[in-house]
Amino acid sequence: MAVPGASLVPILLLGLGTCLAASPSPKGVECILFNEEYMTCTWGSGQTLTANYSLYYWYENKLPVVECQQYLWDRSVRIGCRFEQSEIIQFQAFYVRVNASCNGQTLEIPSNRMELQNLVKPEAPVNLTIHNMSGNQLQLTWSSPYPKEQCLEHVVKYKSNKDTSWTNQEVKGVIFSFPSVDYEKYYTFYVRSKINNYCGNTQLWSEWSVPVFWGNNSTSKGSSGPERPRSPRRPRSVLTVSPRLVAGVAEEQLQWFWIHTVLIPIASCLLLLVLVVLLVRMERVWVIIMPRIPNPSKNFDDLFITHNGDFQVRWLPWLTTPLSWWQLPTPLTPLCPSRNGSESLKMLWRVSSPTTVKASAT
Amino acid sequence: MSHAFFRSIFRVLPLLLVLSPVNSSSCTMGNKTTEIRVKYENILSHDIEELVNMSAEYRDRCCKNKRHEHSKVFFCNDTQEIGSLQSMACNMLRFFNKQKINKEFRRKAALVSCGTLQVLQCKCERHKKEKVCTQVNAPNNEDTETVEQPKKKCNQEFCELKENISSLRSCWNKFEKIISR
Repeated sequence: MAVPGASLVPILLLGLGTCLAASPSPKGVECILFNEEYMTCTWGSGQTLTANYSLYYWYENKLPVVECQQYLWDRSVRIGCRFEQSEIIQFQAFYVRVNASCNGQTLEIPSNRMELQNLVKPEAPVNLTIHNMSGNQLQLTWSSPYPKEQCLEHVVKYKSNKDTSWTNQEVKGVIFSFPSVDYEKYYTFYVRSKINNYCGNTQLWSEWSVPVFWGNNSTSKGSSGPERPRSPRRPRSVLTVSPRLVAGVAEEQLQWFWIHTVLIPIASCLLLLVLVVLLVRMERVWVIIMPRIPNPSKNFDDLFITHNGDFQVRWLPWLTTPLSWWQLPTPLTPLCPSRNGSESLKMLWRVSSPTTVKASAT
Repeated sequence: MSHAFFRSIFRVLPLLLVLSPVNSSSCTMGNKTTEIRVKYENILSHDIEELVNMSAEYRDRCCKNKRHEHSKVFFCNDTQEIGSLQSMACNMLRFFNKQKINKEFRRKAALVSCGTLQVLQCKCERHKKEKVCTQVNAPNNEDTETVEQPKKKCNQEFCELKENISSLRSCWNKFEKIISR
């Protein structure tokens, strides 16, 4: 990323005339703080530059102007400067001046004002670890070599062996939850970091981490060739799940699936059926659950036979307590057969219990 | 000899009174860094971001890489970040009534200033400035016409405000970095 020093480019070419006339243009001064441990400011490569360059720097409130203590060389040409941690001050305006000399001519070229906290490039995340959670969920965690984790934001890049493109997901913390995983697929995960807006104003992402894999890779042979970005300065930490272990886990999951979705429902239904059959068969239990409707027809057998089933009965409404026939206020008259249709036979009901009814006709 | 002695004493005493440090910050949220961080991250940082984006939209060529000689510069001093933020916020409030600057822009700047003072529980030395905050938070019923920025003439006040915004943002970044784990 070319940063505030791009204005140096044409001046470098024009000011020095023949020295750089045949060279392609350098990129300009580019300063990057690597994980806030050291910084490099570079202005080109040995292929394109031929003049003798010197870099001077200073901070807004802190003079004097200091020359670079450690130059970066390429093919005997100075192409940049390395600053150690003790020479770096953030949140103060930083200025750089590059002197280019060639054939006795010297040209001073100032740079733009820089704020080093906006030029921080954190190191790639490490220790990527996958955790199996309940409900087909995966949880990816990592750690960062950058000292202030709360000043970082992250992006997780992942895809399965059956996907054609990568999926990017922004994450604020160091945990990424993958909601629904397919056990038939083989997943690859990468993570990278950047200083968030709370602590700086930068667009410099770290390199991608070393990848971590998860899933069943038995059918795919190198189908998703992941890139392997280099992190040369720090030892790598990789967790790779072996295919055998993954296959064993998948088989066990399948067994549980069959048990939960097929076996248990069928067994429950069978048990219910058996209970119902038993219930119906055991009359003693059935009678309690489904009491029989009382049928007083047996008590009226004589009347039934006598009148050929053609008689009427009227319930005496004022009777709330059981009475005997001698307690009735008026004598009873028998009911004539329904041929007359106008008289009714008054029957006396003695309720001896809630379940049995005893009737007597007078 | 004695009168010379007393003259020197009388000169020193008033000097001591005048120069006695009045550095005590009038901010009361000093130790509550967790609370400050929560308010900054959840609320104020978004307003600052919007203000910075607005500032970038209003391009003014004369502001580019140029520090104005008469502009007041505030630094985010080490170990005095809260005091520095207070000074920056109070200074930014004076731009609220500058008619040469776009109305919405200066209103947003005042909002960020008031938000900063509120989060840090600070007061400005000149109490009139805080009255701006009540105006900013009140519904905008004014019908004052906005004076358009003259296109050819460089607007020094606008450039100064941009610098203040940049300084305020950097100082918040610095403070957040210090109080973060």
